[in-house]
Amino acid sequence: MADLVRSPGVLAQIKLIARLRWRILRNGLRRKNNRMDLIGLIFASVFASILVLGLSGAFYAGGYSFVSGGHASRMAFLFWAIFIFWQVFPVFVAGFGSSFEFRTLLRFPIRLPAFYLIGLAYGLADFSAIAAICWLLSMAAGATVAQPSVLAALLLVVAAFVALNVTIERLLGSWFERLFARRRTREIFVGLFVLSMVALQFLSPFLQRYGKTLQPMILRWLPYLSVFPPSLAGNTIARAAEYDLGGALLSFAGLLAYILVFSALLWQRFAVQYRGEELSETSAPVQQAKRRVTPVTEGGDALSVLSPQIAAVVRKEFRYLTRNGFAFITLLMPPLLVLLFSSQFGGKHPTVSHRSISPEMFFPGMMAYLVLILLAPAYNSFAYEGRGIQTYFTSPVRFRNVLLGKNLLLVTVLAVEIVLAIIVFAFRVGLPAQPRFLATLAAIVFIVVGQLSIANWSSLSFPRKLEFGQMRNQRQSGIAVLLAFGVQIVLGGISTLILFAGKWTGNPWLPTEAFAFLAAAAVAGYVAALDPLDQLAQKKKEVLIETLCR
Amino acid sequence: MSETAILTEKLTRRFGGLIAVDGIDLQVAAGQFFGFLGPNGAGKSTTIKMLTGLLAPSSGRMNLLGVDFTSNPVEVKRQIGVVPEGMGLFERLTGSEYLHFVGQMYGLDRATTRQRSEELLEFMQLADRPKTLVADYSHGMQKKLALAAAVIHGPRILFLDEPFEGVDALAAGALKALLGRMMERGVTIFLTSHVLEIVERLCSHVAIIHKGRLVAQGSLEELRRGVAGDSGTTQTLEAIFLSIVGQDGTERPQLEELSWLT
Repeated sequence: MADLVRSPGVLAQIKLIARLRWRILRNGLRRKNNRMDLIGLIFASVFASILVLGLSGAFYAGGYSFVSGGHASRMAFLFWAIFIFWQVFPVFVAGFGSSFEFRTLLRFPIRLPAFYLIGLAYGLADFSAIAAICWLLSMAAGATVAQPSVLAALLLVVAAFVALNVTIERLLGSWFERLFARRRTREIFVGLFVLSMVALQFLSPFLQRYGKTLQPMILRWLPYLSVFPPSLAGNTIARAAEYDLGGALLSFAGLLAYILVFSALLWQRFAVQYRGEELSETSAPVQQAKRRVTPVTEGGDALSVLSPQIAAVVRKEFRYLTRNGFAFITLLMPPLLVLLFSSQFGGKHPTVSHRSISPEMFFPGMMAYLVLILLAPAYNSFAYEGRGIQTYFTSPVRFRNVLLGKNLLLVTVLAVEIVLAIIVFAFRVGLPAQPRFLATLAAIVFIVVGQLSIANWSSLSFPRKLEFGQMRNQRQSGIAVLLAFGVQIVLGGISTLILFAGKWTGNPWLPTEAFAFLAAAAVAGYVAALDPLDQLAQKKKEVLIETLCR
Repeated sequence: MSETAILTEKLTRRFGGLIAVDGIDLQVAAGQFFGFLGPNGAGKSTTIKMLTGLLAPSSGRMNLLGVDFTSNPVEVKRQIGVVPEGMGLFERLTGSEYLHFVGQMYGLDRATTRQRSEELLEFMQLADRPKTLVADYSHGMQKKLALAAAVIHGPRILFLDEPFEGVDALAAGALKALLGRMMERGVTIFLTSHVLEIVERLCSHVAIIHKGRLVAQGSLEELRRGVAGDSGTTQTLEAIFLSIVGQDGTERPQLEELSWLT
């Protein structure tokens, strides 16, 4: 029999967990690499405090002005704002959270009610919850100052609203946890997230064009929002301010009904977790009919001109690209960005500037921006190798061939993307004159090839491991990012000067000739750098392996 | 005298002030099944990483099949196969794609690579999940794939870092079967493992490393004779290991310190 005399109480368990989380954070900061994180954390805390305090003032003012102005029903807007922040913000910051997993508590002898309460307490310790509670209290203070008689109703509504939000947030969190336990789901989600971020860029031009048409439709739907919790909370306050006790009680009862429903759902979810939910990545073994292995489709012999090693790296890189939802979907970006910028700044009907910008400058500018985006991954090109990096060092292959293979695929993808972007550009804006067009193409070769050697050096010197389909702790090396921007700015500056030199000298072909020369020099430099990079890879292999196999 | 497959002279590796491997002189004859043992942190993995090109030695020499590793790394790597610590798999490829990749990295032509991949996947019972990514393989399946990748080019020396760690009896059976085939071909196998029973059953020769130094080397019989002395008793490898590594008593847990368990 175990030596356990008595189980600790729920409060004692919550205290223990709070202490544990604090120790995990403190011990994590002891590592040298995490000291920079501490500085970042301090900056983030200062920024967050300013944000919370500033918005608290705004909510105070909102609560005061709505109630004192006789528009207490508008309090619903404030509740809606807090509700959306509380539920959406945790999804965005999931990547910065502690690595402590709530479910690991299940190994200890705790009862389901304690597990449930600790789960809720966890939710109340999140930044979104703390900020939202500050704003709710500020809003309540403002409204109370305006009309002290609503204090009791406000306190009840705020307490119920906090309980409801923390319950929904924990419920969503546990659903997401279950959903993202599968690798494929995570990857699809990250892809959709990136796409939605891109789609948001189109919102402004869309609203400018169709906003007036949509307005009546939106207004027609607004009344239906009144049955949702933030509107019910606002309505309770509004009815209380008008001394309509029956109306206030009815709305508050609606709010309580939501709490009951979501609490029941959360209880059910936590009960499933408590009983031991299976979230394993590996599918259970099944008896399968014996069959011969399907040969790998190798796409003909398109790569037969390459050495077997370089061809193997190119094929592997292509497969990795197509299986990395995040990287693959970002390939949609260049043509989409051309579409976006051309609708805002160029074409016949620009939405941002009233005069469209000439393709003579717009085209090279757009191409430079696309190269900036497409080349960024090259500065940490081993990010997704994981433990596979060891294969490169145990195989009888010179590392220059690995770099060549990786660069070859990147350049091919970049070429395809640039061609697609040019087609969209030609369709939307029109192409510049021939000298500028050819000068830009030669400049792209110069900038891309010129950067590859530096990007290879950066990849070997400042590697950072990234995971497929994850947003948590997915950060590039700060030095690599600075280096990438620095190099792009320098090369972009040189290219701009050369482009303008053609205008100043009155010789439209001068930039083309200059860029052609520079491109040739960049290619020669790239080839010359391969052997030194090969030697560098041998020197840096321990750092690479340690970083990527972690 | 048989050909020497692995020869090291004063092989040393330092990590800052820590000497992980301290001037070891290893000699492994071709065709031997060689077990490299030691307690945790003794320097086993560091040694195997140096011998396979994953880690540069601080000093000393390594000679594999008569070729100096430092001056001819590519030539040496052509002759060896490796299952490194953590297996070194590209997890976003399928098993078949990974074997094709490795085969081509070793310079095999595509037809040979395809034929060997198919045979190896069948032999390792990995052929029934052609579209499953390595990331979704079980631990045992990953070990089998790693071993298949290590032998696809027909190496003359095979380095295996903890090949049986976390592997069930079924997967271990497949691994042993393949190792048996390699032994029949005259391949030298250099293996590290914590499972002494497996080493005792498979290996003909053993070396023991402790705190970075080589403390014993020889055939199992030679080690038994060394430990038993004149008494003539037959010792298990575990007993030999404990008597050599635990001589100073520091490795043995002191149960009397756990007063509440008495």
